Amino acid sequence: MPTLFSQLAVLGSSLALIFGLILLWRRSLTAYVTAFAWQSLVLSVLMVIVAYFGRDPELYVVAAAFFVMKVVVIPRLLTRMQRRFSAEREIEPYVNTATSLVVAGLLVLFGYAITRPLVAVSQLPTRAGMPLAMGLVLVSLFVIISRKKALTQVVGFLMLENGLTLLAVLGTYGIPLIVELGVFLDVLMGFLVMQIFIYQIHETFESIDVEQLNRLRH
Amino acid sequence: MIGYVVEVVQAALVLLLAPGLVGLVRAMKARLQNRRGAPVWQPYWELWKLFQKEVVISSNASWLFRAAPFVVFASTAAASFLVPVLAVPLPFDAVGDLLVVVYLLLLGTFFLSLAGLDPGSPFGGMGASREMTIAALAEPTLALAIFALALSAGSTNLGQIVARTMTDPASALSPGHLLAFIALFIVTLAETGRLPVDNPATHLELTMIHEAMVLEYSGRYLALIEWAAAVKLLIFFSLLGNLFVPVGVALALTPGTLALAVLSLLVKFVVLAGALALLETRIAKLRLFRVPELLSVSFVLALLAVTSSFLLK
Repeated sequence: MPTLFSQLAVLGSSLALIFGLILLWRRSLTAYVTAFAWQSLVLSVLMVIVAYFGRDPELYVVAAAFFVMKVVVIPRLLTRMQRRFSAEREIEPYVNTATSLVVAGLLVLFGYAITRPLVAVSQLPTRAGMPLAMGLVLVSLFVIISRKKALTQVVGFLMLENGLTLLAVLGTYGIPLIVELGVFLDVLMGFLVMQIFIYQIHETFESIDVEQLNRLRH
Repeated sequence: MIGYVVEVVQAALVLLLAPGLVGLVRAMKARLQNRRGAPVWQPYWELWKLFQKEVVISSNASWLFRAAPFVVFASTAAASFLVPVLAVPLPFDAVGDLLVVVYLLLLGTFFLSLAGLDPGSPFGGMGASREMTIAALAEPTLALAIFALALSAGSTNLGQIVARTMTDPASALSPGHLLAFIALFIVTLAETGRLPVDNPATHLELTMIHEAMVLEYSGRYLALIEWAAAVKLLIFFSLLGNLFVPVGVALALTPGTLALAVLSLLVKFVVLAGALALLETRIAKLRLFRVPELLSVSFVLALLAVTSSFLLK
Protein backbone atom coordinates (compact mmCIF):
# COMPACT_ATOMS: atom_id res chain seq x y z
CA MET A 1 0.00 0.00 0.00
CA PRO A 2 1.68 3.23 -1.12
CA THR A 3 1.97 5.85 1.60
CA LEU A 4 1.42 9.57 1.18
CA PHE A 5 5.18 10.10 1.31
CA SER A 6 5.94 7.78 -1.58
CA GLN A 7 3.02 9.21 -3.57
CA LEU A 8 4.37 12.74 -3.11
CA ALA A 9 7.90 11.62 -4.03
CA VAL A 10 6.67 10.04 -7.27
CA LEU A 11 4.43 13.00 -8.03
CA GLY A 12 7.34 15.41 -7.58
CA SER A 13 9.63 13.34 -9.79
CA SER A 14 7.07 13.06 -12.56
CA LEU A 15 6.47 16.82 -12.47
CA ALA A 16 10.24 17.34 -12.73
CA LEU A 17 10.32 15.01 -15.73
CA ILE A 18 7.44 16.85 -17.42
CA PHE A 19 9.27 20.16 -17.06
CA GLY A 20 12.27 18.41 -18.62
CA LEU A 21 10.16 17.36 -21.61
CA ILE A 22 9.16 21.00 -22.23
CA LEU A 23 12.72 21.53 -23.51
CA LEU A 24 11.98 19.18 -26.37
CA TRP A 25 8.62 20.66 -27.30
CA ARG A 26 8.88 24.43 -26.95
CA ARG A 27 11.13 26.56 -29.14
CA SER A 28 11.52 29.86 -27.37
CA LEU A 29 14.45 30.22 -25.01
CA THR A 30 12.21 32.07 -22.52
CA ALA A 31 10.12 28.93 -22.09
CA TYR A 32 13.27 26.92 -21.31
CA VAL A 33 14.31 29.27 -18.53
CA THR A 34 10.79 29.24 -17.06
CA ALA A 35 10.65 25.45 -17.25
CA PHE A 36 14.00 25.20 -15.48
CA ALA A 37 12.89 27.55 -12.69
CA TRP A 38 9.66 25.61 -12.16
CA GLN A 39 11.49 22.30 -12.17
CA SER A 40 13.91 23.60 -9.54
CA LEU A 41 11.01 24.85 -7.46
CA VAL A 42 9.41 21.39 -7.58
CA LEU A 43 12.72 19.84 -6.54
CA SER A 44 13.22 22.15 -3.58
CA VAL A 45 9.66 21.44 -2.39
CA LEU A 46 10.38 17.74 -2.81
CA MET A 47 13.53 18.14 -0.71
CA VAL A 48 11.50 19.73 2.07
CA ILE A 49 9.04 16.82 1.85
CA VAL A 50 11.85 14.27 2.06
CA ALA A 51 13.43 16.20 4.95
CA TYR A 52 10.12 16.21 6.80
CA PHE A 53 9.16 12.56 6.28
CA GLY A 54 12.71 11.23 6.40
CA ARG A 55 13.50 13.27 9.54
CA ASP A 56 16.72 14.65 8.10
CA PRO A 57 17.11 18.29 9.25
CA GLU A 58 20.23 18.80 7.11
CA LEU A 59 18.09 18.52 4.00
CA TYR A 60 16.18 21.67 4.95
CA VAL A 61 19.45 23.61 4.63
CA VAL A 62 20.17 21.94 1.30
CA ALA A 63 16.64 22.73 0.11
CA ALA A 64 17.05 26.39 1.08
CA ALA A 65 20.43 26.64 -0.67
CA PHE A 66 19.00 24.85 -3.69
CA PHE A 67 16.05 27.24 -3.79
CA VAL A 68 18.22 30.33 -3.64
CA MET A 69 20.60 29.10 -6.30
CA LYS A 70 18.40 27.29 -8.76
CA VAL A 71 15.11 29.15 -8.46
CA VAL A 72 16.40 32.68 -7.88
CA VAL A 73 20.01 33.22 -8.96
CA ILE A 74 20.56 31.01 -12.01
CA PRO A 75 17.16 31.71 -13.68
CA ARG A 76 17.85 35.41 -13.24
CA LEU A 77 21.27 35.10 -14.90
CA LEU A 78 19.72 32.95 -17.63
CA THR A 79 17.00 35.52 -18.24
CA ARG A 80 19.56 38.27 -18.56
CA MET A 81 21.48 36.17 -21.06
CA GLN A 82 18.34 35.22 -22.93
CA ARG A 83 17.24 38.86 -23.24
CA ARG A 84 20.45 39.64 -25.00
CA PHE A 85 19.86 36.87 -27.55
CA SER A 86 16.09 37.31 -27.63
CA ALA A 87 15.92 36.92 -31.38
CA GLU A 88 17.39 33.46 -31.21
CA ARG A 89 15.05 30.48 -31.21
CA GLU A 90 15.61 26.75 -31.37
CA ILE A 91 14.28 26.49 -34.91
CA GLU A 92 16.02 23.56 -36.52
CA PRO A 93 17.42 21.16 -33.93
CA TYR A 94 19.43 18.16 -35.13
CA VAL A 95 16.49 15.91 -34.28
CA ASN A 96 12.99 17.22 -35.03
CA THR A 97 10.41 17.70 -32.30
CA ALA A 98 8.20 14.67 -32.94
CA THR A 99 11.16 12.28 -33.15
CA SER A 100 12.76 13.88 -30.09
CA LEU A 101 9.64 13.20 -28.06
CA VAL A 102 9.51 9.57 -29.11
CA VAL A 103 13.21 9.24 -28.30
CA ALA A 104 12.55 10.85 -24.91
CA GLY A 105 9.80 8.30 -24.27
CA LEU A 106 12.20 5.47 -25.11
CA LEU A 107 14.89 7.02 -22.89
CA VAL A 108 12.52 7.09 -19.95
CA LEU A 109 11.70 3.43 -20.58
CA PHE A 110 15.44 2.77 -20.65
CA GLY A 111 15.69 4.67 -17.36
CA TYR A 112 13.14 2.26 -15.91
CA ALA A 113 15.14 -0.68 -17.19
CA ILE A 114 18.50 0.40 -15.78
CA THR A 115 17.19 1.46 -12.37
CA ARG A 116 15.36 -1.84 -11.91
CA PRO A 117 18.09 -3.47 -9.74
CA LEU A 118 18.38 -0.23 -7.73
CA VAL A 119 14.67 -0.09 -7.07
CA ALA A 120 14.66 -3.81 -6.23
CA VAL A 121 17.26 -3.55 -3.44
CA SER A 122 16.12 -0.20 -2.07
CA GLN A 123 13.79 -0.21 0.92
CA LEU A 124 13.13 3.53 0.90
CA PRO A 125 9.57 4.73 0.32
CA THR A 126 10.94 7.13 -2.30
CA ARG A 127 12.35 4.39 -4.54
CA ALA A 128 9.49 4.54 -7.07
CA GLY A 129 10.65 7.98 -8.19
CA MET A 130 14.17 6.86 -9.05
CA PRO A 131 13.40 5.63 -12.60
CA LEU A 132 11.83 9.01 -13.37
CA ALA A 133 14.92 10.82 -12.05
CA MET A 134 17.11 8.59 -14.24
CA GLY A 135 14.76 9.35 -17.14
CA LEU A 136 15.26 13.07 -16.51
CA VAL A 137 19.05 12.61 -16.55
CA LEU A 138 18.89 10.77 -19.88
CA VAL A 139 16.43 13.21 -21.44
CA SER A 140 18.62 16.16 -20.43
CA LEU A 141 21.66 14.47 -21.96
CA PHE A 142 19.64 14.01 -25.13
CA VAL A 143 18.74 17.72 -25.08
CA ILE A 144 22.43 18.60 -24.86
CA ILE A 145 23.39 16.52 -27.89
CA SER A 146 20.37 17.22 -30.08
CA ARG A 147 19.98 21.00 -29.76
CA LYS A 148 22.02 23.65 -31.51
CA LYS A 149 21.70 26.78 -29.41
CA ALA A 150 24.31 27.14 -26.69
CA LEU A 151 21.73 28.45 -24.23
CA THR A 152 19.52 25.37 -24.70
CA GLN A 153 22.52 23.18 -24.04
CA VAL A 154 23.27 25.09 -20.84
CA VAL A 155 19.68 24.64 -19.64
CA GLY A 156 20.00 20.97 -20.59
CA PHE A 157 23.15 20.73 -18.47
CA LEU A 158 21.43 22.40 -15.51
CA MET A 159 18.49 20.01 -15.82
CA LEU A 160 20.92 17.11 -15.94
CA GLU A 161 22.33 18.34 -12.65
CA ASN A 162 18.77 18.65 -11.30
CA GLY A 163 18.16 15.05 -12.32
CA LEU A 164 21.28 13.89 -10.46
CA THR A 165 20.25 15.83 -7.35
CA LEU A 166 16.79 14.29 -7.57
CA LEU A 167 18.35 10.82 -7.87
CA ALA A 168 20.53 11.49 -4.81
CA VAL A 169 17.61 12.80 -2.76
CA LEU A 170 15.35 9.90 -3.67
CA GLY A 171 17.98 7.20 -3.48
CA THR A 172 19.81 8.16 -0.29
CA TYR A 173 17.85 11.07 1.24
CA GLY A 174 20.62 13.35 0.05
CA ILE A 175 24.38 13.13 0.34
CA PRO A 176 26.15 14.86 3.28
CA LEU A 177 25.65 18.59 3.47
CA ILE A 178 29.29 19.46 2.81
CA VAL A 179 29.38 17.40 -0.39
CA GLU A 180 26.07 18.89 -1.50
CA LEU A 181 27.37 22.42 -1.01
CA GLY A 182 30.53 21.52 -2.91
CA VAL A 183 28.41 20.29 -5.82
CA PHE A 184 26.36 23.48 -5.77
CA LEU A 185 29.51 25.56 -5.97
CA ASP A 186 30.78 23.42 -8.84
CA VAL A 187 27.56 23.88 -10.75
CA LEU A 188 27.62 27.61 -10.19
CA MET A 189 31.24 27.82 -11.37
CA GLY A 190 30.46 25.60 -14.36
CA PHE A 191 27.50 27.77 -15.20
CA LEU A 192 29.55 30.97 -14.98
CA VAL A 193 32.25 29.49 -17.20
CA MET A 194 29.61 28.44 -19.74
CA GLN A 195 28.12 31.91 -19.60
CA ILE A 196 31.47 33.42 -20.52
CA PHE A 197 31.76 30.88 -23.33
CA ILE A 198 28.36 31.80 -24.68
CA TYR A 199 29.20 35.49 -24.69
CA GLN A 200 32.44 34.68 -26.50
CA ILE A 201 30.63 32.53 -29.07
CA HIS A 202 28.14 35.30 -29.61
CA GLU A 203 30.92 37.86 -29.95
CA THR A 204 32.71 35.79 -32.59
CA PHE A 205 29.80 34.52 -34.66
CA GLU A 206 26.98 36.97 -33.86
CA SER A 207 24.88 33.95 -32.98
CA ILE A 208 24.74 31.32 -30.26
CA ASP A 209 24.28 28.50 -32.72
CA VAL A 210 27.03 26.01 -31.84
CA GLU A 211 27.02 24.64 -35.36
CA GLN A 212 29.02 27.73 -36.27
CA LEU A 213 31.89 26.28 -34.26
CA ASN A 214 32.44 23.76 -37.07
CA ARG A 215 33.92 26.59 -39.11
CA LEU A 216 36.86 26.69 -36.71
CA ARG A 217 38.27 23.53 -38.29
CA HIS A 218 39.36 25.35 -41.43
CA MET B 1 -34.32 -2.13 -12.85
CA ILE B 2 -33.47 1.13 -11.11
CA GLY B 3 -30.07 0.86 -12.78
CA TYR B 4 -31.66 1.12 -16.23
CA VAL B 5 -33.74 4.11 -15.15
CA VAL B 6 -30.61 5.87 -13.89
CA GLU B 7 -28.87 4.97 -17.15
CA VAL B 8 -31.61 6.56 -19.26
CA VAL B 9 -31.76 9.61 -17.00
CA GLN B 10 -27.99 9.94 -17.29
CA ALA B 11 -28.06 9.81 -21.10
CA ALA B 12 -30.92 12.33 -21.21
CA LEU B 13 -28.99 14.58 -18.84
CA VAL B 14 -25.90 14.37 -21.05
CA LEU B 15 -27.91 15.34 -24.14
CA LEU B 16 -29.68 18.19 -22.35
CA LEU B 17 -26.65 19.63 -20.58
CA ALA B 18 -24.30 19.50 -23.57
CA PRO B 19 -25.36 22.73 -25.33
CA GLY B 20 -25.35 24.49 -21.97
CA LEU B 21 -21.75 23.38 -21.39
CA VAL B 22 -20.70 24.86 -24.73
CA GLY B 23 -22.55 28.05 -23.79
CA LEU B 24 -20.80 28.11 -20.42
CA VAL B 25 -17.35 27.86 -22.03
CA ARG B 26 -18.27 30.64 -24.47
CA ALA B 27 -19.64 32.87 -21.69
CA MET B 28 -16.55 32.35 -19.52
CA LYS B 29 -14.29 33.07 -22.47
CA ALA B 30 -16.20 36.25 -23.24
CA ARG B 31 -15.86 37.37 -19.62
CA LEU B 32 -12.12 36.73 -19.68
CA GLN B 33 -11.82 38.80 -22.84
CA ASN B 34 -13.76 41.69 -21.27
CA ARG B 35 -16.78 41.09 -23.46
CA ARG B 36 -20.27 40.60 -22.13
CA GLY B 37 -20.89 37.65 -24.43
CA ALA B 38 -24.05 35.71 -25.18
CA PRO B 39 -25.98 34.14 -22.30
CA VAL B 40 -25.15 30.58 -21.29
CA TRP B 41 -28.34 29.20 -22.86
CA GLN B 42 -27.64 30.76 -26.27
CA PRO B 43 -26.66 27.37 -27.86
CA TYR B 44 -30.14 26.03 -27.03
CA TRP B 45 -31.73 28.86 -29.04
CA GLU B 46 -29.29 28.24 -31.87
CA LEU B 47 -30.20 24.55 -31.99
CA TRP B 48 -33.90 25.42 -31.81
CA LYS B 49 -33.54 27.87 -34.67
CA LEU B 50 -31.58 25.39 -36.79
CA PHE B 51 -34.23 22.71 -36.28
CA GLN B 52 -36.84 25.13 -37.71
CA LYS B 53 -34.82 26.07 -40.77
CA GLU B 54 -35.15 24.42 -44.15
CA VAL B 55 -32.43 22.06 -45.36
CA VAL B 56 -30.45 22.91 -48.47
CA ILE B 57 -28.43 20.09 -49.96
CA SER B 58 -25.98 20.21 -52.83
CA SER B 59 -27.20 18.38 -55.94
CA ASN B 60 -23.92 16.45 -55.95
CA ALA B 61 -24.53 14.97 -52.51
CA SER B 62 -25.36 11.30 -52.13
CA TRP B 63 -27.34 9.41 -49.47
CA LEU B 64 -24.20 9.41 -47.35
CA PHE B 65 -24.51 13.14 -46.84
CA ARG B 66 -28.05 12.72 -45.44
CA ALA B 67 -27.18 9.70 -43.32
CA ALA B 68 -24.00 11.08 -41.74
CA PRO B 69 -25.61 13.52 -39.25
CA PHE B 70 -27.75 10.71 -37.85
CA VAL B 71 -24.78 8.37 -37.56
CA VAL B 72 -22.71 11.09 -35.88
CA PHE B 73 -25.46 11.95 -33.43
CA ALA B 74 -26.45 8.34 -32.71
CA SER B 75 -22.88 7.13 -32.12
CA THR B 76 -22.13 10.05 -29.80
CA ALA B 77 -25.40 9.57 -27.92
CA ALA B 78 -24.66 5.82 -27.62
CA ALA B 79 -21.26 6.62 -26.14
CA SER B 80 -22.98 8.71 -23.49
CA PHE B 81 -24.60 5.52 -22.12
CA LEU B 82 -21.21 3.93 -21.54
CA VAL B 83 -19.36 6.80 -19.90
CA PRO B 84 -19.52 7.04 -16.11
CA VAL B 85 -21.31 10.34 -15.63
CA LEU B 86 -23.41 10.00 -12.49
CA ALA B 87 -23.13 6.57 -10.96
CA VAL B 88 -21.11 3.35 -11.11
CA PRO B 89 -21.56 0.47 -11.70
CA LEU B 90 -24.39 0.68 -14.20
CA PRO B 91 -26.01 -2.18 -16.17
CA PHE B 92 -24.67 -0.88 -19.49
CA ASP B 93 -21.11 -1.35 -18.27
CA ALA B 94 -21.54 -4.93 -19.39
CA VAL B 95 -22.26 -3.78 -22.95
CA GLY B 96 -19.06 -1.94 -23.66
CA ASP B 97 -15.79 -0.82 -22.15
CA LEU B 98 -13.43 2.02 -22.99
CA LEU B 99 -12.57 0.58 -26.41
CA VAL B 100 -16.22 0.73 -27.42
CA VAL B 101 -16.40 4.37 -26.30
CA VAL B 102 -13.24 5.26 -28.22
CA TYR B 103 -14.48 3.59 -31.40
CA LEU B 104 -18.02 4.98 -31.12
CA LEU B 105 -16.50 8.45 -31.03
CA LEU B 106 -14.20 7.55 -33.93
CA LEU B 107 -17.20 6.27 -35.92
CA GLY B 108 -18.76 9.72 -35.68
CA THR B 109 -15.52 11.40 -36.75
CA PHE B 110 -15.19 8.98 -39.68
CA PHE B 111 -18.70 9.61 -41.00
CA LEU B 112 -18.32 13.34 -40.56
CA SER B 113 -15.16 13.24 -42.71
CA LEU B 114 -16.94 11.15 -45.34
CA ALA B 115 -19.76 13.67 -45.35
CA GLY B 116 -17.21 16.44 -45.76
CA LEU B 117 -15.81 14.71 -48.85
CA ASP B 118 -19.19 13.75 -50.32
CA PRO B 119 -20.50 17.01 -51.87
CA GLY B 120 -17.13 17.56 -53.54
CA SER B 121 -16.55 21.04 -52.16
CA PRO B 122 -12.84 21.83 -51.77
CA PHE B 123 -13.28 23.07 -48.18
CA GLY B 124 -14.99 19.85 -47.15
CA GLY B 125 -12.13 17.79 -48.53
CA MET B 126 -9.57 19.99 -46.82
CA GLY B 127 -11.36 19.76 -43.50
CA ALA B 128 -11.78 15.99 -43.83
CA SER B 129 -8.10 15.42 -44.55
CA ARG B 130 -7.07 17.59 -41.59
CA GLU B 131 -9.58 15.92 -39.28
CA MET B 132 -8.26 12.49 -40.26
CA THR B 133 -4.66 13.57 -39.65
CA ILE B 134 -5.60 14.68 -36.16
CA ALA B 135 -7.89 11.74 -35.41
CA ALA B 136 -5.23 9.23 -36.45
CA LEU B 137 -2.91 10.69 -33.81
CA ALA B 138 -5.47 11.51 -31.14
CA GLU B 139 -7.41 8.24 -30.97
CA PRO B 140 -4.49 5.97 -29.98
CA THR B 141 -3.48 8.54 -27.38
CA LEU B 142 -6.99 8.58 -25.97
CA ALA B 143 -7.06 4.80 -25.70
CA LEU B 144 -3.53 4.69 -24.26
CA ALA B 145 -4.25 7.37 -21.65
CA ILE B 146 -7.29 5.48 -20.37
CA PHE B 147 -5.31 2.21 -20.55
CA ALA B 148 -2.94 3.70 -17.98
CA LEU B 149 -5.88 3.89 -15.59
CA ALA B 150 -7.20 0.52 -16.71
CA LEU B 151 -3.87 -1.09 -15.84
CA SER B 152 -3.93 0.09 -12.25
CA ALA B 153 -7.63 -0.83 -11.95
CA GLY B 154 -7.16 -4.22 -13.62
CA SER B 155 -10.11 -3.72 -15.96
CA THR B 156 -10.87 -1.82 -19.15
CA ASN B 157 -14.39 -1.23 -17.90
CA LEU B 158 -14.85 2.49 -17.29
CA GLY B 159 -17.24 1.93 -14.39
CA GLN B 160 -14.81 -0.37 -12.65
CA ILE B 161 -11.91 2.06 -13.17
CA VAL B 162 -13.93 4.77 -11.41
CA ALA B 163 -14.95 2.41 -8.60
CA ARG B 164 -11.34 1.32 -8.14
CA THR B 165 -10.01 4.88 -7.96
CA MET B 166 -12.70 5.70 -5.40
CA THR B 167 -11.60 2.89 -3.09
CA ASP B 168 -8.02 4.17 -3.28
CA PRO B 169 -8.15 7.97 -3.65
CA ALA B 170 -4.36 8.34 -3.16
CA SER B 171 -3.78 6.57 -6.49
CA ALA B 172 -5.17 9.67 -8.22
CA LEU B 173 -1.81 11.30 -7.38
CA SER B 174 0.32 8.57 -8.95
CA PRO B 175 2.49 9.54 -11.93
CA GLY B 176 0.42 7.29 -14.18
CA HIS B 177 -2.72 9.25 -13.39
CA LEU B 178 -1.00 12.62 -13.62
CA LEU B 179 0.63 11.95 -16.99
CA ALA B 180 -2.54 10.35 -18.34
CA PHE B 181 -4.57 13.38 -17.25
CA ILE B 182 -2.34 15.79 -19.17
CA ALA B 183 -2.38 13.48 -22.20
CA LEU B 184 -6.16 13.18 -22.10
CA PHE B 185 -6.57 16.94 -21.70
CA ILE B 186 -4.53 17.55 -24.88
CA VAL B 187 -6.57 14.89 -26.69
CA THR B 188 -9.76 16.59 -25.49
CA LEU B 189 -8.59 19.85 -27.07
CA ALA B 190 -7.80 18.07 -30.34
CA GLU B 191 -10.89 15.87 -30.53
CA THR B 192 -13.41 18.54 -29.67
CA GLY B 193 -11.86 21.11 -31.98
CA ARG B 194 -10.73 23.64 -29.39
CA LEU B 195 -7.71 25.96 -29.44
CA PRO B 196 -4.78 25.44 -30.06
CA VAL B 197 -5.77 22.78 -32.60
CA ASP B 198 -8.90 24.24 -34.12
CA ASN B 199 -10.73 27.46 -33.38
CA PRO B 200 -14.41 26.82 -32.61
CA ALA B 201 -15.31 30.48 -32.98
CA THR B 202 -14.21 31.14 -36.54
CA HIS B 203 -15.22 30.43 -40.08
CA LEU B 204 -11.91 31.69 -41.41
CA GLU B 205 -11.51 29.19 -44.19
CA LEU B 206 -7.75 28.70 -44.11
CA THR B 207 -7.51 27.51 -40.53
CA MET B 208 -10.77 25.68 -39.87
CA ILE B 209 -11.08 21.94 -39.46
CA HIS B 210 -14.45 21.05 -37.98
CA GLU B 211 -16.19 24.04 -39.56
CA ALA B 212 -14.76 23.15 -42.96
CA MET B 213 -16.28 19.67 -42.85
CA VAL B 214 -19.74 20.86 -41.88
CA LEU B 215 -19.74 23.87 -44.20
CA GLU B 216 -22.25 22.26 -46.58
CA TYR B 217 -24.73 21.40 -43.85
CA SER B 218 -27.77 23.44 -42.95
CA GLY B 219 -30.99 23.23 -41.01
CA ARG B 220 -31.70 20.22 -38.81
CA TYR B 221 -28.69 18.30 -40.13
CA LEU B 222 -26.38 21.04 -38.94
CA ALA B 223 -28.27 21.15 -35.63
CA LEU B 224 -27.67 17.42 -35.12
CA ILE B 225 -23.97 17.77 -35.88
CA GLU B 226 -23.52 20.76 -33.61
CA TRP B 227 -25.43 19.01 -30.85
CA ALA B 228 -23.28 15.88 -31.28
CA ALA B 229 -20.14 18.03 -31.06
CA ALA B 230 -21.41 19.51 -27.79
CA VAL B 231 -22.19 16.03 -26.43
CA LYS B 232 -18.69 14.95 -27.37
CA LEU B 233 -17.21 17.83 -25.38
CA LEU B 234 -19.36 16.84 -22.41
CA ILE B 235 -18.30 13.18 -22.70
CA PHE B 236 -14.65 14.17 -22.66
CA PHE B 237 -15.23 16.46 -19.69
CA SER B 238 -16.94 13.62 -17.81
CA LEU B 239 -14.03 11.31 -18.60
CA LEU B 240 -11.55 13.92 -17.35
CA GLY B 241 -13.60 14.72 -14.28
CA ASN B 242 -14.82 11.30 -13.23
CA LEU B 243 -11.94 9.02 -14.19
CA PHE B 244 -9.27 11.12 -12.55
CA VAL B 245 -11.13 12.84 -9.71
CA PRO B 246 -14.02 10.47 -8.97
CA VAL B 247 -15.24 12.55 -6.04
CA GLY B 248 -19.01 12.51 -5.72
CA VAL B 249 -19.77 9.74 -8.22
CA ALA B 250 -22.63 7.70 -6.76
CA LEU B 251 -21.71 4.16 -5.78
CA ALA B 252 -25.22 3.35 -4.57
CA LEU B 253 -28.38 4.30 -6.40
CA THR B 254 -30.18 6.33 -3.77
CA PRO B 255 -31.71 9.79 -4.33
CA GLY B 256 -29.24 11.41 -1.94
CA THR B 257 -26.07 10.09 -3.57
CA LEU B 258 -27.46 10.79 -7.05
CA ALA B 259 -28.23 14.39 -6.14
CA LEU B 260 -24.70 14.72 -4.77
CA ALA B 261 -23.36 13.17 -8.00
CA VAL B 262 -25.23 15.72 -10.14
CA LEU B 263 -23.96 18.54 -7.96
CA SER B 264 -20.33 17.40 -8.05
CA LEU B 265 -20.60 16.83 -11.80
CA LEU B 266 -21.76 20.42 -12.30
CA VAL B 267 -18.91 21.69 -10.13
CA LYS B 268 -16.40 19.68 -12.15
CA PHE B 269 -17.86 21.00 -15.40
CA VAL B 270 -17.60 24.59 -14.20
CA VAL B 271 -13.96 24.04 -13.16
CA LEU B 272 -13.02 22.32 -16.44
CA ALA B 273 -14.92 24.90 -18.51
CA GLY B 274 -13.06 27.63 -16.64
CA ALA B 275 -9.72 25.92 -17.33
CA LEU B 276 -10.61 25.56 -21.01
CA ALA B 277 -11.75 29.17 -21.30
CA LEU B 278 -8.58 30.39 -19.57
CA LEU B 279 -6.38 28.25 -21.82
CA GLU B 280 -8.18 29.40 -24.97
CA THR B 281 -7.77 33.02 -23.94
CA ARG B 282 -4.09 32.62 -23.12
CA ILE B 283 -2.81 30.75 -26.17
CA ALA B 284 -2.90 31.27 -29.90
CA LYS B 285 -3.77 28.66 -32.49
CA LEU B 286 -0.90 26.41 -33.52
CA ARG B 287 0.25 26.16 -37.08
CA LEU B 288 -1.33 23.06 -38.58
CA PHE B 289 2.08 21.45 -39.06
CA ARG B 290 2.85 21.81 -35.37
CA VAL B 291 -0.34 20.02 -34.34
CA PRO B 292 1.16 16.53 -34.88
CA GLU B 293 4.01 17.61 -32.57
CA LEU B 294 1.54 18.62 -29.86
CA LEU B 295 -0.22 15.28 -30.27
CA SER B 296 3.06 13.40 -30.11
CA VAL B 297 3.72 15.19 -26.80
CA SER B 298 0.45 13.81 -25.52
CA PHE B 299 1.18 10.39 -27.01
CA VAL B 300 4.54 10.22 -25.23
CA LEU B 301 2.92 11.34 -21.97
CA ALA B 302 0.28 8.63 -22.36
CA LEU B 303 2.97 6.06 -23.13
CA LEU B 304 4.90 7.06 -20.02
CA ALA B 305 1.68 6.91 -18.03
CA VAL B 306 1.06 3.34 -19.17
CA THR B 307 4.66 2.35 -18.41
CA SER B 308 4.67 3.81 -14.96
CA SER B 309 1.32 2.27 -14.03
CA PHE B 310 2.56 -1.04 -15.40
CA LEU B 311 5.88 -0.96 -13.57
CA LEU B 312 4.61 0.48 -10.31
CA LYS B 313 1.64 -1.86 -10.02
